[in-house]
Amino acid sequence: MNDKTVIDVFVDGAKKGWHVGINNIIPNVLMAYVCIQILKLTGLLDLLGNVFAPVMAIFGLPGQAIMVLISALMSMGGAVGVAHALYTNGVLTGAHITILIPAIYLMGSKIQYLGRLLGTVGVNPKYYPIMLGISICNAVISMFIMRLLA
Amino acid sequence: MDKQEKQNNAADTKVSIKGYIALAMALIVFSGIFAGAQGWISAFDFDTLCGKFGTMKDGSKATFAGIGGNGAKDGFLFALGLLPSVMLAMGIIEVVEHLGGLKAAQKLLSPILRPLLGIPGITGIALVSSLQSTDAGAGMTRVLYDTGEITEKEKLIFSAFQFTAGGTVTNYLSSGSALFSFLTVPMSIPLVVLLVMKIVGANIMRLYVTKFCKEELSS
Repeated sequence: MNDKTVIDVFVDGAKKGWHVGINNIIPNVLMAYVCIQILKLTGLLDLLGNVFAPVMAIFGLPGQAIMVLISALMSMGGAVGVAHALYTNGVLTGAHITILIPAIYLMGSKIQYLGRLLGTVGVNPKYYPIMLGISICNAVISMFIMRLLA
Repeated sequence: MDKQEKQNNAADTKVSIKGYIALAMALIVFSGIFAGAQGWISAFDFDTLCGKFGTMKDGSKATFAGIGGNGAKDGFLFALGLLPSVMLAMGIIEVVEHLGGLKAAQKLLSPILRPLLGIPGITGIALVSSLQSTDAGAGMTRVLYDTGEITEKEKLIFSAFQFTAGGTVTNYLSSGSALFSFLTVPMSIPLVVLLVMKIVGANIMRLYVTKFCKEELSS
């Protein structure tokens, strides 16, 4: 077990990274980009932007930033893709991304983690709402903190 | 026999209205009848959704993904561009683990876990692992509970800690790296905020279980 050199270990880790990339990141990001493309083409992105503008303004963000948070619930990688796509489209600025980035992870991949984490540990499902509530509460607080720092 | 049964079943299968709508949508999207369409209707064209690779007009700003791309193709190149950072981050974490870095982190953490989170020091390994991999953390927590090392209350607090920003370090360093160049603060600042908020979240749960779950969980 210990006859592995540091180089072998690094390569093993890099391989894990490759698998994460191929199996999680690329499919999720691709999905996020296509969703944004559809929302943009249909005009729904601007609509969502207008509807959520008052809420997101509390955090110093444009209304469209709600898309980053919604997609975060499904996948962290997807939310990063959405944030990147919105930045490329000129909707989000660097300061906006700075405000959003901890929230992406704090409320990220919740849907998957209900099963992968809470299910595996054996947490009673009656505690799922409070667990979700804490995550979202954390994300909201983090956006206030990042707004001061950004 | 089996084959025939399957065929019969296939013939009898009822097709829901959703199925027909899905088929119609697929035909529309792949047929290209809206290929030249403008406005929202163009969202029903496969080629438009595939988008385009960016072009390298300006060597100083454009990466290999180019500028002005969109849709699935732009997303793919963007995601492909993430892989080097992900592979590098995972490689480094693996080496740190191999060299005993995680054990060191666990040793440093153990004495402060009780005051900080209200969970015993024995959860140190699981805690450090959970920062690296959500699944590893979950598996180890399960074992800690099953072997009686942690109580039901401690399990809930510890789960709340892991649930928000799961796999923190690995996830932040891998997918997050795509956004690092846009940040207006050093990349370590959001990571510190993440870890602090995890502790805050766990303590909200700690408060909750001590206030509201006294009777049911003490037995």
